[in-house]
Amino acid sequence: MAKTKTKTRARSGRITKSSTAEYFSKNLQQVGFSSPTKAVLTTLKEAVDNALDACEDHGILPDLRIEIEKLGAGSLKNTDQIRVLVSDNGPGIGPDDVPRVFGEYLASSKFGRGRCSRGQQGIGISAATTWAQQTTATGARVISKTSSMRKAVSYLVEVDLKGNKGRIKEKETVEWDRKNGTSVEFIFDGRLQYNGEAGLHAFINGNILVNPHMKLVYKLPAGEEVTVERVSEEIPRIPEAVDPHPHTMKLGDFIGHAGLFGPDKTTTWLKNGFSRVSPSAIKELGGILGPEKGILNGKVSALKEAQIKKLYTSIQKTSLKAPATSSVLAVGESSLAKSIRRLGEVDFISVHTRKPTICDFKPVQVEVAIARLKGSNSESESSVSVIRFANRVPLQFDKASCAIVKSIQSVNWKTYGLRQSKGSLPQGSFILAVSVVSPFIKFKNASKETIDASDELVEELRRGLMKAGQKLSRHLKREKKAEELTNKIQHIESFAPILVNILCRITEAPNKRKEAAAAGLQKILDRDMKKAKVQYDDAAANLEQHLSSQLEAMPDVFRTYKDPKKTVEEAQETKLGAKDAEIAKLQDEAEENANSSKTKIKKKSKGKKTAKKKNTKKVAKKTAKKKKTVRKKATKKSKTKRRR
Amino acid sequence: MARLQTSKKSKDEIPKISKALCEKMIADLEKARRPVLQATKCSLDNSIYSPGKGYLTPGPKKVSSELNVSSVKKISRSIFMLEILLRNIDTGSVNTKRELYYMAKGEVKHNKDLRVLDFKDQDESDSIVDFLCEMIECYREDMNCYANDRGGQTFSQCLVVHETMPDGKKAVIDLSKLGTSPFQPKNRPQNLTLKAKKKIDFCLVIESEGTANTLVSNGICKRNNCIVVGSQGVPSNAVRGWVKRIQEQLKVPIYFFGDLDAYTIQNIFRTLKAGSAASLIRNADYSAPEVRFLGVLPEDIKKYDLADYTVKSDNASDLRALKKAKDILANDPFFKSPKNKKLASILHWLIKEKRRCEQQALFTVNPRDPIMPEKIILEKIKKKSYI
Repeated sequence: MAKTKTKTRARSGRITKSSTAEYFSKNLQQVGFSSPTKAVLTTLKEAVDNALDACEDHGILPDLRIEIEKLGAGSLKNTDQIRVLVSDNGPGIGPDDVPRVFGEYLASSKFGRGRCSRGQQGIGISAATTWAQQTTATGARVISKTSSMRKAVSYLVEVDLKGNKGRIKEKETVEWDRKNGTSVEFIFDGRLQYNGEAGLHAFINGNILVNPHMKLVYKLPAGEEVTVERVSEEIPRIPEAVDPHPHTMKLGDFIGHAGLFGPDKTTTWLKNGFSRVSPSAIKELGGILGPEKGILNGKVSALKEAQIKKLYTSIQKTSLKAPATSSVLAVGESSLAKSIRRLGEVDFISVHTRKPTICDFKPVQVEVAIARLKGSNSESESSVSVIRFANRVPLQFDKASCAIVKSIQSVNWKTYGLRQSKGSLPQGSFILAVSVVSPFIKFKNASKETIDASDELVEELRRGLMKAGQKLSRHLKREKKAEELTNKIQHIESFAPILVNILCRITEAPNKRKEAAAAGLQKILDRDMKKAKVQYDDAAANLEQHLSSQLEAMPDVFRTYKDPKKTVEEAQETKLGAKDAEIAKLQDEAEENANSSKTKIKKKSKGKKTAKKKNTKKVAKKTAKKKKTVRKKATKKSKTKRRR
Repeated sequence: MARLQTSKKSKDEIPKISKALCEKMIADLEKARRPVLQATKCSLDNSIYSPGKGYLTPGPKKVSSELNVSSVKKISRSIFMLEILLRNIDTGSVNTKRELYYMAKGEVKHNKDLRVLDFKDQDESDSIVDFLCEMIECYREDMNCYANDRGGQTFSQCLVVHETMPDGKKAVIDLSKLGTSPFQPKNRPQNLTLKAKKKIDFCLVIESEGTANTLVSNGICKRNNCIVVGSQGVPSNAVRGWVKRIQEQLKVPIYFFGDLDAYTIQNIFRTLKAGSAASLIRNADYSAPEVRFLGVLPEDIKKYDLADYTVKSDNASDLRALKKAKDILANDPFFKSPKNKKLASILHWLIKEKRRCEQQALFTVNPRDPIMPEKIILEKIKKKSYI
C-alpha cells in the first residue's frame, strides 16, 4: 500500500504533513463528489464496479441487488438523505481486508496490474465512505461472508482521516442467507436524478448493456422492484496481466521499476521485467549504448543514476514490438447485441467489435453497437442517444470533450442514411453504444468521467463507427426500397385521374373519350401494379433474408422477431386502407398467372434464394468450425504454458 | 412522338404542337397503349461540334419517358405545367421560372386533388419547364417564360438599336445619347435590329462588368469606334443572344477579355462562342462563333509582367474548375476540335502550371496611367495577339 504524504504549509509557516485521506476528504470533487447529484451516482458506480470486478475475478456469474431510498431531508441545503445499498454474490471479503477496502485510500488489489478492470487505484469506494461520513457522520455498513466463514460479519467502517486507515466502529456476526458475498450500504446527503444522460436510469441501463452475464435486481424510490435476468452464462475471460512496456514508461517509473530487480543482472531485469524486450532488442540496445554497453552485464543495484538515465534514453530509441493486446477485455458482438435487447424491443441492431489494436502505445479495443428501438419515430430530429463505456463502466458526464463523442461527430453519418448537421451528432431514434477497453485508458480527470481524445484513439473509434454505420446503411437501403415500391403503388392511384383530366382539358376532348382514356390508363397501370407487387415481394423477401441471417447469428436478440414481409404488409394495409382488398385480388391474380407462365422464373429465383440461404449456412458452419479450432489451439497453448 | 426540326417557334405554333402532343397521348391511352414523351437529350455526350457551324448542336440521342408507374409523376407534372404555360401564351402573360413555381403551388392550393403534383422546391418545377422546351424544341421565351435580365451592359458612341415592341410599335435607342447609363438587352434580342452610325472597328466583351464600366469611364468609347459589353460572369441568354446579334448584323470583329483560368475558358468563353451542352436546342441563336479570346493569354503574363498567382489548395472552386478541365479536354467536342487546339493548349497549361491571372492584373502594369489597360487591349488587337 502506498502511504503518500502530502506537505502543506500551515498558516504559522510551519511545514506540516497531511495524509492521503485528509487530502481527498478536502478535495472530494476531484473524485466525482462535486455535487449532491453526482455524489449519488458516484457512490452507486463505485459499489457496483467493485462488486462486478470481485465476481469476475473469481469466476462467479454476478447477481447484484441495488436499492436506493430517500430517508428524509439531508443536512446540506437542497439535499435528501439517501440510502444506497449494493449487494453481490462475490467471494466476500475477509475480516482483515474490510477496513482497508472501505476505509483506506490507495489500498487496491488492482493498481498497476496492467489489466482491464473497472477499478484501478483504490480511491472511489473510500471516497464514498468519506462522503457518507462527512454528511451523515456514519461510514459504510458492510456485511460480508466468504465461503470459509460459518457466519457473515456486519461492520460499520469509517475512514481515519489522520492516519489514512479504515476504522471498524461496530462489528457483529449475523445470519445471512447466502454462501458468500458482500453487501455495502451508504447513508449520505445527495439528490436523486432519474432521467437524462447523468441520471440513474442511464447508469443502470448502461451497466445492463455491457454486462450481459449480470443478473440485476433493483429498486428505485420512484418505482417497483425490477429484475433483469442475465442473457449470457459466460463469465468474461479474465485478461492476462501484462508486464510494462518500456516505451510507455516515464523515467521516474523506470527508476522505480529498477528498484524491484536490484540483485538481478540488468539484461535479466530488462527481459523479465518488461514486455516486448527480446534478445534481439537487447542486442540493438547494446549497439545504441556503444562504449557503455557494459552496464547491461552488471547488477541493477550497481547502476548509477546517470547510467539508468542513459539506459532509459537508449531503450526509447530501440525498436520494440508494440505492446501486447491480450490484456483487453471486450464485451463481444453477440453479448452486446443481446444486452441491447434488454433495453427494449429492437427492430434493428448492428454491432461491430474491432480487433484489439495499439493506440498511443497502449492496447485498446473498441466496440460499437447501433440499435433502433421498435416503434420509434424515424423522423425524430433529436440527436441519437449515445451511451459511452470505458472498461465496461458507463460514462455519464462531460460528454462534449470525450473521445467517443468527438469521433461520432467526425463521421459523416449522412452517407449511412442518418440526418446530421455538420460537426454534430447524427439525428434519429437510435441508440449508439460505444465501448473502449484498455488497461491504460487515458481519462481526463481522476473521477474517470471522460476519455481523453487523442488522434489515434479518435481514428480507431471512427473506424469502428464507420463499420457499424455501413451495416446500418445496408439495412436502411433495404427498408427504403420496400417503402419506395409502396409509394409507387400509391402513385398509380393518385396521378392517373389527374393526367386524364388535364389532357382532356387541353384537347377539349368529349366525355366519351375521357372515359375511354381513363379505362385504357387503368389497364396500363394495373399491369404496372402487378409488376410492382412482384418487385415489392422480392424486396420484402430480401429484407426478410437479411433479418433471418441476423437472427441466425444472434438468436436471442430478436426474441420478438416479426416477419418483415408481414410488418411491411401491415404498414401498407394502414396506408392503402380501402384499396387493400383490390391489391390483394390483384396479387392473387398475379400468383395465378405465375403458376402458368412465370413458374419457371419463380422456380429459378426460389432456387437462387435457397442456394443463397444454403451458402450463408455453409459459411456460418465454416466460421464456427474455424473458431472451434482456434479456441482448441489457444487452450492447448495456455496449458503448455502453465506446465512450463 | 411528334417532333419538329426547327427550334424557332411562333406563338401560334406552340399551342398547336402541344395540343397535337396531348391528342396523341389520349389516342394512345384509349387503345391502352403507353404514351411516350420524347425530348432532345441536352448533355455533353449528345453534343456535336462542327467547325463550320461553330457552335454545339444536338446529336441523335433522345430522352424518352414512357408512361409507367415510375414516370407517371413526371408526365403528370409536365402536362400540368404545360396547361399553365399554354394559358399564359393564350392571355399573353409573361412569367419568370420562380413565378411559375408559385403559380403551380397556387393551383395545388386551390384544388386538393392536385396535391400529389406539388413541387417541393423550384428546382423540380424548373426541370419540368426545361423538359417541356426540349420536348417541343422551343425557347423558354417562346413559352412566355423569361429569366431575370443579368449582365450585358453595353456602351457605344456609334450604335443605334431599333426595337419592335410586343404591341408592334417601334422604339429607337441611340446609345450615344444615354449619358453614363448603359443599354441592357432583354432575353429576346431577336426583336432588336442594330445599325451603326459610323463604321465600328470592334466589339469588346469584358468578363467583369465593373472593369467594362471602368474602361468606358476612362474614355475607351470616346477614343475608339467600338462597342463595350460587360458579360458579368457566365453570359446569360440575353448576353449570348445580344453578342450573336452584334456579330450577325454589324459584322464587326468581337473580342472577349477575361481572367486566365479554367473556369473562364471552359464556362464563360466557350458558352459565349459555341453555347453550352445544357442549351443544345438554342445554341444556334445564342452563340457567337466568331468571338475571339483576347486574353489574358499565358504569354501576356511574361510580356506585360502581370501579377499572377498559384491556385490555392484551399480554393475549392478553382480546384473544381481544374478537375473539370481535365474531363472537358477528354470529352468536350468543342475543345477536342482541331479548330480550338490553341484554347485546349491553354487549358493544358493551366492544369500543368496551376496558375491563374485575373483580368484586373492589367492595372499593375502602370498604376499611375488610368488608360494603360486600354492601351494594352488595343495593342493586342493591333498585333493580333488573340486566339
